[in-house]
Amino acid sequence: MKVSFPYMGTTVIYKKLLEQLGHDVIMPPIPSQKTINLGVKYSPEFACFPLKVIMGSYMEAIEKGAEVIITSGGHGPCRAGFYEQVHSRILKQEGHNVEFIVFNSMFRDFKNFYKNLMRIKADNSWIKVAKSLMLVYDMMKKLDVLEKEVQVIRAYEIKKGETTRIWENIQRIFDQANNKKQIREAFEKGKELLSKVRKHDVKPQNRLRVGIVGEIYVVMEPSINMKMEELLGSLGVEVERSQYLSQWVDYNVLPDFMNYTHEKEVLKKGEKYLPIEIGGHAKQTLGQIVDFSKRGFDGVVHLMPFGCLPELVSQSIIPRITEDLGIPVLTLSIDEQTGVANNLTRVEAFLDLIRGKHSKKIS
Amino acid sequence: MQEVYLGIDVGSVSTNIVAINRSGEVLYSKYIRTNGQPLDSVKNGLKELNSEIGNEIVVKGIGTTGSGRQLIGVMVGADVVKNEITAHATATIHEVPNVKTIFEIGGQDSKIIIIEDQMVVDFAMNTVCAAGTGSFLDHQSERLGIPIEEFGDMALTAQRDVRIAGRCTVFAESDMIAKQQFGFSKAEIIKGLSEALVRNYINNLGRGKKIEPPFVFQGGVAANKGIRSAFEKEINNEVIIPKHFNIMGAIGAALLAMDHMIETGEQTKFRGFQAADFEFVPSTFNCEDCSNGCEVIKVELNKEVVAMWGDRCSKWTNSL
Repeated sequence: MKVSFPYMGTTVIYKKLLEQLGHDVIMPPIPSQKTINLGVKYSPEFACFPLKVIMGSYMEAIEKGAEVIITSGGHGPCRAGFYEQVHSRILKQEGHNVEFIVFNSMFRDFKNFYKNLMRIKADNSWIKVAKSLMLVYDMMKKLDVLEKEVQVIRAYEIKKGETTRIWENIQRIFDQANNKKQIREAFEKGKELLSKVRKHDVKPQNRLRVGIVGEIYVVMEPSINMKMEELLGSLGVEVERSQYLSQWVDYNVLPDFMNYTHEKEVLKKGEKYLPIEIGGHAKQTLGQIVDFSKRGFDGVVHLMPFGCLPELVSQSIIPRITEDLGIPVLTLSIDEQTGVANNLTRVEAFLDLIRGKHSKKIS
Repeated sequence: MQEVYLGIDVGSVSTNIVAINRSGEVLYSKYIRTNGQPLDSVKNGLKELNSEIGNEIVVKGIGTTGSGRQLIGVMVGADVVKNEITAHATATIHEVPNVKTIFEIGGQDSKIIIIEDQMVVDFAMNTVCAAGTGSFLDHQSERLGIPIEEFGDMALTAQRDVRIAGRCTVFAESDMIAKQQFGFSKAEIIKGLSEALVRNYINNLGRGKKIEPPFVFQGGVAANKGIRSAFEKEINNEVIIPKHFNIMGAIGAALLAMDHMIETGEQTKFRGFQAADFEFVPSTFNCEDCSNGCEVIKVELNKEVVAMWGDRCSKWTNSL
């Protein structure tokens, strides 16, 4: 099958898994202005931004020859659950012949999950499938370890942009790795490359750490969130995201009785502020803010797609957390507008605020 | 010769230049319409400053703020380039040391800044909605045929209250027309509009924030007495309008530059008043290296590239 998928975060992982199973992978291009223009043109105006961008990247993938699109479903009262329906109808209307394979949680509808799995499995043996899954999981874990390192080093690099370039290079090296040994080598190589970045010497008491929380797509995909991690890094701040692929997989794939992931604890931490699941990542967002605060972070940047209801709800609850725990939070709406100047002003002012809090003076 | 620090606030509507002395007193201030030409307006401002007090001062530091801060910072050789929120807060704390809440309404954007112990602890900024900014008033003054300068005083003469929908300028306009048909006077309508603007501002920016006195109201709109009284009515408290209410950003930039110079002991990077005669050529080109096709802005000073931005991948920005 000529397969493709939504572009989000370190995409080399999905690519690798599908390649391992012998599928022909059509890489969707990194979301660009063209992607956004396409997505906005063909999506309902009031749909949220991720739906539009993904719409655009599907169209670009189809242009490159994709026949099947693999994506995840949604659960709870969030529009993400309807994405596939909306996308496939619009694509059909526009005359594109493309099939969707949607993975919903296997604990809800195992039959359907199994059916999808069989499609992906194709002619491979179950052993091969298990092996590929393990391999990709290993790769995911290792990439996340390196990415977390990147997000710290970037704050202190002497030559602007060097860490980001190395990180892109590391992903390319991983893309070439096809077995356990090569993945280990890629990991070692990545560590070595990162250790060579020349850094400013900053005293531990002067270091600032900021967490990024919010809806998964705008948090994970730098090309549409003004490269928030890079931006914060270039302003001298260490960054950690609320979502990493391996964490997401752990939380969503492990059955309940053995699901001891950090995300479970995080959800519990936010329960005081939002006891029920309202869809999207609202509950995670609040829990993550509490979690970042307890872990001594200086501030949190909250990203939400414009018009995202779950995140609007969390936005209105955030002032209470700030009051209780004293952690400053900056909420930014992400949409197609390209005028980044005013968001840059907000981010800069926010960093002044947390620096001031850190050193007890306006900087 | 007096030692001074300069501050330049380049906004979308106005450009302000101030010179302050070591104790933060304003020695000179200039308010210029930007008219979409920030480079020219700053050049003119510098020339005027130079001809008026150029012989009596030594510039020890310079700061820029406002939406054009980077570009102008490069042009004048700024020591400090700061966002307008920090700059506004700095200036207000200097003038009203115990301030807790700052309302700032300019032509194109509005801000609320919450201060605790002379430190910014929270802020919000509105840029995409006109219903809480000066342009809203500007537009309505034109509709009613009353100069914006007379707007505030006229509101104070209103006899009755009339409520105008203020959530969105479009609704405000049709509501305003409806209320005119009901026979309300222009003064009453203007009072209603002022209250609508304040309501919109508080709802939009003040939501979820701890708004406590003392309140300071600044920015160009603070000149409007109608808005001031609408604010006082809405929050049921006195509102302080600082002496230099419409140039607070520039004062803040100058104060920040002073702090920075004293702290670091560095020499100023100010290019001198002749910067006004330098040939600054901003140009743009489309980078075609990837599908983003970014419009990159390039600024040249005497044929040498001094700044670049606008590229999503930072390739050009980092190339300097």
